[in-house]
Amino acid sequence: MSDYISLMFTVVILSLVANIGIALYGIFTKPSLIKKFIALTIFSDSINSFAIAIGFRRVAGSYPSVAVLADVPGSPEELQHFYATSVDPLPQALVLTAIVIGLAVYMFLAGLITLYYKHYGTTRVDVVRGGSRG
Amino acid sequence: MRARELAIASSVALMVLLLAYVIELGGLGPLAPHTIRDLAKSYLEYAYNPWNATVSSMALEAVTAIVWDYRGLDTYFETSVLFVAIIGVAALYRGYREMRGLGGAGLSEIVKTSTRVLVPLILVAGASIAIHGHLTPGGGFQGGSFMAVLMVLLAVVFSLDYAFERGLSSRKLLAIRSAGLIGILLTSLALLVAGAVAGVYAYVFQNMVRESSELSMPRWIFDRPLGGTLFFFNVFESLAVVSGLTLTFIVLALRREEVDHALAAGEWYE
Amino acid sequence: MEPVAILLATVAALLSVIATYLAVVSKDLLVAVVLSAVQSTAYALIYYVLMAPDIVLVYVPVSVGLLPAVSVLLIKKTERYEG
Repeated sequence: MSDYISLMFTVVILSLVANIGIALYGIFTKPSLIKKFIALTIFSDSINSFAIAIGFRRVAGSYPSVAVLADVPGSPEELQHFYATSVDPLPQALVLTAIVIGLAVYMFLAGLITLYYKHYGTTRVDVVRGGSRG
Repeated sequence: MRARELAIASSVALMVLLLAYVIELGGLGPLAPHTIRDLAKSYLEYAYNPWNATVSSMALEAVTAIVWDYRGLDTYFETSVLFVAIIGVAALYRGYREMRGLGGAGLSEIVKTSTRVLVPLILVAGASIAIHGHLTPGGGFQGGSFMAVLMVLLAVVFSLDYAFERGLSSRKLLAIRSAGLIGILLTSLALLVAGAVAGVYAYVFQNMVRESSELSMPRWIFDRPLGGTLFFFNVFESLAVVSGLTLTFIVLALRREEVDHALAAGEWYE
Repeated sequence: MEPVAILLATVAALLSVIATYLAVVSKDLLVAVVLSAVQSTAYALIYYVLMAPDIVLVYVPVSVGLLPAVSVLLIKKTERYEG
């Protein structure tokens, strides 16, 4: 049974990698700025998912016994189950910061794309003067 | 262009295959391991540890303790980066004024009535996630973005005209954002000031008792753990986030007349 | 680790691959925004199975609420069909 679980986890990791590939293809080849914007958000979300998947710990046993401190613990022995089943908290803290900074960059990028359209009249990057086709 | 696109697609596919090969054969460690790293074990043991008080942060939630106590400087500068981005978006359209009477009517009465029911529910849920950040999963940014989604919903269902007539303006939102940031700054310096007044050694961003400093923020409120500075950080951060994201949405949603006025005012400099 | 949980994560991951591919090749930008919101929901399910509830609480308002709203505003002010 545990090799089925390893197989399914490998499928999840490989689909994240496939998302990275498809999003990079979208950033490089599509000429519209808004399509690049959408593909950029998908790319950065997949990279953050990798960081969280690295901190995962597989606990042998049934899933409902998760690492939650439901009440204020009174002695160190009550915390042993928490230490034995909890996942790595450090990648989650770093991904939190990464999501917020990504949001800040996307808001600014949306403002810039609107001004680009006001100036050039189009959102394509290859038909303006100085672009790859103009 | 077919050859160029084919080259890009095949190189991206090659990168994806190599990455999958490395992960599959355990280059980054075994997939879904059974143990965690020693650094993670030490953070878990330090998060709530009243028996070894000089390393603990007395909060029941390990991720919030890492975000605001052990790596508090990272989060402080992340909030500053969000602030700089908001200022940048507002500076792209510098000179704009909120105009009233541009004729927005919002959506139909059915949508407006059902949104009126949702407003207190989402506000309470967001505030609860922000205030309980040191006990349950949540925190300042999570609660703040819940309430920011509510503001976006209100701006779409009732129009922006209705909001501007009720007294919402960019200056008030920027003032609330700055007040949140000043609150975070004062909380981080609180123990330093108290130590300077009392003549005792203290650190910046200090939360609990440390090895060379005896001061500590309050640890308990009635019978529940209050994580010291974590509670205050979460409250101020949620205030800052809700006003900052609403301000950005208003600037990005300016109507055509306001944008023309802003760009006409700006071109005087060129 | 219960197999039902990891099965949910696998189904969500495959759904996200399909949604990403359709979003990148679509010519109608509004459909691309909606498909990227579907991909974000699938990712939120994966984060839940990977035991990261703080990340779910950040990711759902930001990537299913704020970013599609900003993208639809952007499409309204510029053009809807690419090419």
